[in-house]
Amino acid sequence: MAEFEPQIVAFCCNWCTYAAADLAGTSRVHYPPNVTIVRVMCSSMVNPIYVLKAFEGGADGVLVAGCHHTDCHYIDGPVKCDATVDKLRKVLHVLGLEDERLRRELVAASEGVVFARIIKEMVEQLKKIGPSPFKVKMEALA
Amino acid sequence: MNLEDIIQETKTYYCLECGKCTSICPVARYDSSFSPRQMIENALLGFGDELLLDRELFSCLTCYTCQKECPSDIDFPIFVRKARSMAQDNGQHGVCAHSGQLQSLARLMTSPTIKQKRLEWLSKEYRVSENSDVLLWVGCAPYFAPIFEDIEFNALDITKASLKTLNLLGIEPRLLPNERCCGHDALWTGDIETFKKLAEHNAAQIKEAGVKKIVFSCPEGYRTFKLDYPNYVDLRCEVLHISELLAEKIGENGVKFKEIKKKVTYQDPCRLGRHLGVYDAPRKVIESIPGIELVEMRHSGLESICCGTSAFTNCDSYSNMLRTERLCEATETGAELLITACPKCQTHFRCAMMDKGEEHRSTPKIEIMDLANLVANAIEK
Amino acid sequence: MEEIRIGVYICHCGFNIAGVVNVEEVAKYAATLPSVVISREYRYMCSDPGQDLIKNDIKKLGLNRVVVASCSPRMHEPTFRKAVADGGLNPYLYEHANIREHCSWVHDDKELATKKAKDLVRAAVKRVYRHEPLVVKEAPLNPNVLVVGGGIAGMQAALDIANGQNKVYLVERDPSIGGHMIQLDRTFPTLDCSECILTPKMSDVGHHPFIELFTYSEVEEVSGSIGNFKIKVRKKARHIDESKCIGCNVCEEKCPWKTDSEFEMGLAKRKAVYIPFAQAIPHLAVVDPNLCAYIKSDGKKCGACIKVCEAQAITPETLLKQTDQIVEFDVGTIIVATGYDQFDPSVIPQYGYGKYDNVLTGLHFERMTCAAGPTEGKILLKDGREPERIALVHCVGSRDQNYHEYCSRVCCMYALKYAHLAKELSKADVYQFYIDMRCFGEGYEEFYKRCSEEGVNFIRGKVAKITDETLTDEEKGKLVVVSEDTLLGKLVRVPVDMVILCSALEARSDAENVSRIFNLNRRADGFFLERHVKLDPVATPTDGIFIAGCCEGPRDIPDTVAQAEATAAKALSLISKGTITTEAAVSTVDESICHGCGRCEEICAFHAPKVASKNGTLVSSINETLCKGCGACAVVCPTGAISIKHFTQDEILAEVAALTEVS
Repeated sequence: MAEFEPQIVAFCCNWCTYAAADLAGTSRVHYPPNVTIVRVMCSSMVNPIYVLKAFEGGADGVLVAGCHHTDCHYIDGPVKCDATVDKLRKVLHVLGLEDERLRRELVAASEGVVFARIIKEMVEQLKKIGPSPFKVKMEALA
Repeated sequence: MNLEDIIQETKTYYCLECGKCTSICPVARYDSSFSPRQMIENALLGFGDELLLDRELFSCLTCYTCQKECPSDIDFPIFVRKARSMAQDNGQHGVCAHSGQLQSLARLMTSPTIKQKRLEWLSKEYRVSENSDVLLWVGCAPYFAPIFEDIEFNALDITKASLKTLNLLGIEPRLLPNERCCGHDALWTGDIETFKKLAEHNAAQIKEAGVKKIVFSCPEGYRTFKLDYPNYVDLRCEVLHISELLAEKIGENGVKFKEIKKKVTYQDPCRLGRHLGVYDAPRKVIESIPGIELVEMRHSGLESICCGTSAFTNCDSYSNMLRTERLCEATETGAELLITACPKCQTHFRCAMMDKGEEHRSTPKIEIMDLANLVANAIEK
Repeated sequence: MEEIRIGVYICHCGFNIAGVVNVEEVAKYAATLPSVVISREYRYMCSDPGQDLIKNDIKKLGLNRVVVASCSPRMHEPTFRKAVADGGLNPYLYEHANIREHCSWVHDDKELATKKAKDLVRAAVKRVYRHEPLVVKEAPLNPNVLVVGGGIAGMQAALDIANGQNKVYLVERDPSIGGHMIQLDRTFPTLDCSECILTPKMSDVGHHPFIELFTYSEVEEVSGSIGNFKIKVRKKARHIDESKCIGCNVCEEKCPWKTDSEFEMGLAKRKAVYIPFAQAIPHLAVVDPNLCAYIKSDGKKCGACIKVCEAQAITPETLLKQTDQIVEFDVGTIIVATGYDQFDPSVIPQYGYGKYDNVLTGLHFERMTCAAGPTEGKILLKDGREPERIALVHCVGSRDQNYHEYCSRVCCMYALKYAHLAKELSKADVYQFYIDMRCFGEGYEEFYKRCSEEGVNFIRGKVAKITDETLTDEEKGKLVVVSEDTLLGKLVRVPVDMVILCSALEARSDAENVSRIFNLNRRADGFFLERHVKLDPVATPTDGIFIAGCCEGPRDIPDTVAQAEATAAKALSLISKGTITTEAAVSTVDESICHGCGRCEEICAFHAPKVASKNGTLVSSINETLCKGCGACAVVCPTGAISIKHFTQDEILAEVAALTEVS
């Protein structure tokens, strides 16, 4: 049986984390291809419905990453994102979703290596806990 | 399925085009582009495609005010419900409030392999039993609690109060740890597929639990189990609202209340009132508490006005106007407390009262409490 | 609805992408996606022939959406947007997939990298399908500038802008411009006289044809946004006829009512009618209505000044009937230079400020050493004697978790200056209690060396207390400074006659009110927040409003002047362009849904959404010149009324759904 390869959807802010992922690219720092990135202008742009939709689609993990608190182009985006993610976590907890599946990170534009490390860690972690419970879809009733 | 089938099934061809529905419709009162009569006429005249692509199709509150007065007894809410199912197939789903999170949660709950953590609030002070043949339906309260934190509403307070009340009545009910959403919102917005899956899950769990009676603190869950589930799944259970159970017990002289001196008014939830005909039970319960003075709002019972939003869809400025009108009626009674019997009603009223910008508006403010909380505060062993 | 026709272009980027990703396979795959009319792969899409491919396809194939899969959009999105625009399409009908930095450069498995590239292209196609054309708007900019604060920062900024022949409104709260700098005696490290270097600038400001000066005035209301601010200024009543007053001072001489002079830090008195100081600009008298007996008795008492004023500038009407005036005008940019307050050391009871007569702050000492000051430049104790010993205490209220964590930057230097002046103007022994010597600027370290050769006693230790409880005969009648000499490792008790506390520079006490009027944010330390500490230190999150000088944080005069000139440059740059460009991907409100709940207004850091009544209902409106498109408002909107152009919920959900599809 093929090894389980988790699928990760990452929401990365344009000014910091997306740039960090770019830097990982220019520095040729490799990481597993399990992640695809959605570019948002600010981590505060991430609406809980985006995370829920990713899980609905069968993603095994979601990463919400943006600037450090003092670096935000829009002043206090990270604070707003923290509040959104904290609330969403409580909801996902009731759904029985493992905490590791939603990850919140602060990655500056200069931290390409950190970005790659986070992806590697997330893939390893998700491999251990297995596929998302939402991956199994119920057959449509007649 | 096409619109012609829906017309046949709901017998909307009997429509006289008298306009009674539109004249009493709470939405039409504020939204001049919304007219139940117009929508039926469009369907009958063959403009069904336009109807199905119209966002306004999702503005109907399905509150049943129209059907109760319709001289041809047309079930407009069911017509709308079926039409919405077709609309969804065409990509129109109205404007979801809260970015569609509630709708997404319902869909996520259809997964068979999830292991929810719905009962972490259950502390030792509450007594439950695996052997009881009475089930207390918890519903969406554990999800509403974190989602509506910012409007200071914890739906679990209602659940806890219901459980405390049942305990004081000598009942130690069963609680299911992996309930699914009853599917009310999915059904009424036309997402039949999600609704069916949720119904299947719930029916299977109830069958396995072997319970005979299900008590609801939420009228939407109650209505769905009582009137809608039998069309799709095999339930074989008695279902009732907690106010009905209490009214019964009060009738048997099995309940003692302590005095609460308060002037209160009561909001008939659409689902409990017009959908299920339960008007007297909650009133009997409220009036049995010594010291309580119940004053009715200008429109009550059958004429009660909806709280303004249904199925977390198409919540807009008209919804807000409707809510504000209802809150005005509540404060005009001079009551100190507004009693609701539906967590959705309470959510929507609280949201309106939490709107920012005191300098712009004057939304009437009144303390709100669910019937279950009122009873739990008053009941004595 | 128009038919969507998408063109997809996969770039090889030489071997950078093609070496890992099978670009032909990706292009073939893209052609199978719904609404894709043409799908090509090419060696270098950013090159001229590459861009021509796009332009020609738009024209020949009637494309109305374009996707390029290549390097990072942070690199070439502008390039391809321009190519699309040159092809005749709105530049926002374009989407970019990153298959180099995020794919071929970081993954080694060719099969998986190709699959990922397909996923990313599919997501970009689903997203571009939902793009709408957007217009970048330009609005005209009012060339007038408002400068708030008439200290050195405000004056410098005003002069730079006015010298460019642009109109400046300079609003100063006090009756005269000059700020704190005019209170200083000599300035480190060159020890030039502050008044001497400042008064020419003050005079320039007072006479400049392009500066309209409002003194004894405060800005009360600011509305609008960059390019078009509406300003309301309250001009407080001086209770004199400004057109007649010749500044002769006779009224002040004859006035019998006295109080502590704010300018002289209480070391001298001023009268109820007064000119703040000799070099005041404008050189006009002002009446203090809380002290003037004539005003307080409603015309029954005193009136001495009325009798002696030859110019008849003071009359019963001016005293009793003159009221504040409200002046309104429009500007395009605002510079806030409201300065600092000196920390009040009386909250540190161990230092005895306010308890002992001869414990002073820096500003007191400045007035004392000033030859034109209350003591004519002599360093004197309260009882008139000359001190034999003077102590200087560093870091009072600064670098202190209990008061202000930050360093006030200028105190080490002015303490050295006081040490030097004490040596120059008196025979006193000087004891300087320091923790560090922060001499960072031009000529500062050299100044320190010079002072240390003048016989100043430096004691490294933070002063524990200043007390009049004496233990020995030597200490009798003196103030004892108790500290640990950390370099020697022993406690010292130094009896002195006068103590000067190097008080912190702190944010003005009304900074909260000012921040509300101008939509400024404040940092945790109380000063106004700059847009970016390193890369944008004079701009604020509110477009068109700049900050200069100590209102942004403690700084010395050279840095203040440099900052003021920087804000002038910012303003002049905007004026030179004459228009402001608005961000295209901004927030927008569907008024048929919005009910004006105000959550958007509450959360926005840029004050872009505003709830107001429109046609009888409350709705939110977005000021597009202020909106930066961060998206926070859309997340908190409960009804779904707000969406962000180019980042609508629908399109991001489509992108997410496409990424989780199986390809």
